[in-house]
Amino acid sequence: MRRDWPDICGGLALTAVGLLACGWALAEYDLGTLRRMGPGFFPAILGALLAALGLIVALPALGRAGMPARVAPRSAVAVLASIVIFGFGLPRLGLAGATAASVLVASLPAPQPGWTWRIVLMVAITLLTVLVFSVGLRMTLPVWPRLP
Amino acid sequence: MTTWEGLLYGIGFALQPGVLVYCVLGVVLGTFVGVLPGIGAMAAISLLLPVTYYITPEAALIMLAGVYYGAQYGGAVASILMRLPGTPQSAVTALDGYPMVREGRTGVALFAAMASSFAGSVIGIAVLVMLAGWLSTAATAFGAADYAAMMILGLVAASTIGTGQFAKGFAMVTLGLLLGCVGTDVNSGVQRFTFGQTELLDGINLVALAMGLFGVAEVVANVQDPDRQGVVERIGFRRMLPAWADLRQMGWPTLRGGALGSFFGALPGTGSTLSSFLSYAMERRVARRPERFGKGAIEGVAGPESANNAAAITAFVPTLTLGIPGDPIMALMLGALVIHGIQPGPLMLEARPEMFWGLVASFGIGNLLLLILNLPLIGIWVAMLRIPFRWLYPAILVFVCLGVYSVRGLTFDIVAVAAIGLAGYLLALAAFSPALLLLGFVLGPLIETNLRRALLISRGDPMVFLERPISAVFVVATIALLLLSLWQAWRQRRNARADRREAA
Repeated sequence: MRRDWPDICGGLALTAVGLLACGWALAEYDLGTLRRMGPGFFPAILGALLAALGLIVALPALGRAGMPARVAPRSAVAVLASIVIFGFGLPRLGLAGATAASVLVASLPAPQPGWTWRIVLMVAITLLTVLVFSVGLRMTLPVWPRLP
Repeated sequence: MTTWEGLLYGIGFALQPGVLVYCVLGVVLGTFVGVLPGIGAMAAISLLLPVTYYITPEAALIMLAGVYYGAQYGGAVASILMRLPGTPQSAVTALDGYPMVREGRTGVALFAAMASSFAGSVIGIAVLVMLAGWLSTAATAFGAADYAAMMILGLVAASTIGTGQFAKGFAMVTLGLLLGCVGTDVNSGVQRFTFGQTELLDGINLVALAMGLFGVAEVVANVQDPDRQGVVERIGFRRMLPAWADLRQMGWPTLRGGALGSFFGALPGTGSTLSSFLSYAMERRVARRPERFGKGAIEGVAGPESANNAAAITAFVPTLTLGIPGDPIMALMLGALVIHGIQPGPLMLEARPEMFWGLVASFGIGNLLLLILNLPLIGIWVAMLRIPFRWLYPAILVFVCLGVYSVRGLTFDIVAVAAIGLAGYLLALAAFSPALLLLGFVLGPLIETNLRRALLISRGDPMVFLERPISAVFVVATIALLLLSLWQAWRQRRNARADRREAA
C-alpha cells in the first residue's frame, strides 16, 4: 500500500524534536508558576504542542497515498559540502583557497558536463570575491593558504 | 507633525544622495531577483541582511523594502514573458499575461503590469499613511496581554490562510517559536538549549537561519534546472503604448485591486500572495464576459498586480506601528531593525520620524523609479532570464558564507548555515513552509515576554486575556479562525471520501 511518506517522516521527526525539547525543558529548567513563569515554562508547552502537531500531521498520512518527494541527493550533498568546506577552510586555506575549493565542489552536480566552464567559473568567482571583499570592503581575512 | 509636513520631510530625507543610492540599489536588485525564477525576495533580503550592519538603519530598511516591492515588478515581467512566475505573488499574472504575449500584445501586457503596479503602490501608500497615524495612537492603549493575543492571532492566521494543511503550517510556527527560545532567557538569565556552545548565548543567529532556510535550500532545489532558451521579441517603446480601450478596461480593476490589496496587506498573516489571487477571482466575477479570462484579459493582469503592490506596502502598517510583523518578509525587516537596536512600535512615529516618513517617501520614489527604469530596461531583464543558474549559484553560495561570516566573524555561523540549510531542504521536500518557521522564530521572544508580563500583572490569572476588550477581540478571532479551518479540513476529508466512493 502506498503511503504519504513525506508527511509521515516529517510529522514524526517534529514529534521527536518536540518531545526532546519538552523533556529537556522539564528536566533542566525551572517551570515556575503561571504568575511567575520560569525559563522552562514556554519551551515545555511549545515542545508538547509540537509533538502533538507532528502526530496530527503523521497519523492521517499513514492511510493515504502521497506525492513522492523529488529528492536531489547529489545537489544537496555538493551544496552543503561546499559551505562546510568554506567554513572550515577559511582560517586554513585563506579566502582565495576556500572560495576556489567551495566553488569547484558546488559546481559538480550542475547539469552541464565538462571541466572547462567549471575552472573558468572557479577562477572568475575567486577573483571577484578577493577583489570585492578583501580589496574593496577591506575585510580582515587571510587571502592565501597558510603554509605549515 | 501633520501628514503633509511629514511627507515633505520624508521626501527631503529620502532624496539625500546617501539614502537615495540604497533605494535605487534595492529596487534594481529586487527586480533582478524577481525576474530570476528560483530566488525570491525572501532569499534576496536574507542575503542582504549582513550588508545592513554597515549602513544606517533608515537606509537599510529603505533598501530591503525596495528589494521587496522591486521583486514584485520583476516577478510580473517573468510571469508575463515566460509564464515563469519569479515570485509566488505574480503567479496569477501569468494566467492572462502570457496569453496576451501569445496574441502579440506583449508591450501592452507589460505596460498594464507596470502601470497598475504603480497605481496599486500609490493607493497602498495613501492607506499606509492614514492607517499608521490612527493605529499608532490606538496602539498606546495596548497592554502586554493585547500584544501577546494579537501576535498569536497573527501566527494562527498565517498558518491557516493560504496553506493547504493547517497542522503543517502550525507545526512550523511552533518549531520557530521553540527555536526562538534558544539562548539566554531574558527574565532569569538561564541559558536554554545552548548545550555549552558560547556561540548560541545570544540565540540562533537570524542571518544564519534566514540564509540557510531560504538561500541554501532554494539553491539546492534549483541546481538541476536546465538552461532556459526562450526567444523573446524585442519590444519597441512605441509598442508599449496601450490603446484607449485598454486603458479604460484597466481603470476599475486597478482601483479595486489596490483597495483589496491595501486591506489584506495590513491584516497580519495574510499578505500579498493571497490578495493577488483574490483580486483575480473578483475581476472574473464582476466581468461582463468572464469567459475572456485565461485568454488574455487585461483586467486579469491589472487587478492582481495592483493588489500585490498595494499589499506589499500596507504590510508595513503592523510592523511599523505595533512592532509586529504580519508576514515572514516583514519578520526579516523587523529582524534587520532589531539588529540595529531599534524596536519598532507605537512610539516610532514620534521618536524616529525620519525612519517612518523616509520609508513612506522612498516607497513613492522607488516605485516611480521602477516605472521609469523598467520600461526601457525590459530587454536587459529578458536577457538576464537566460543566464543559466549554474553560473550563478556557486557565487551565491560564496556570498552566503562570507555574508554570514562578516556579521560576527565566527566560522561557527558558516557551518550552522549548512546545518540549517539541510534542515530547510528536508522541510521543503516534505512541503513544510520554512517561511512560517521564520515568522515564529522572530515573534517567539516577543510573545514569551508579553505573555509572561501579562500574567505577572494579572497575578497568574489567565482570564486577563478575556477581560481586556482589545485582547478579547483577538482571542475570539483566533478561536473563530481555528474552528473555521477545522471545519474546512473536515469538509475536505468528507468530499475526498465521497469522491473515492464514486470512483469505486
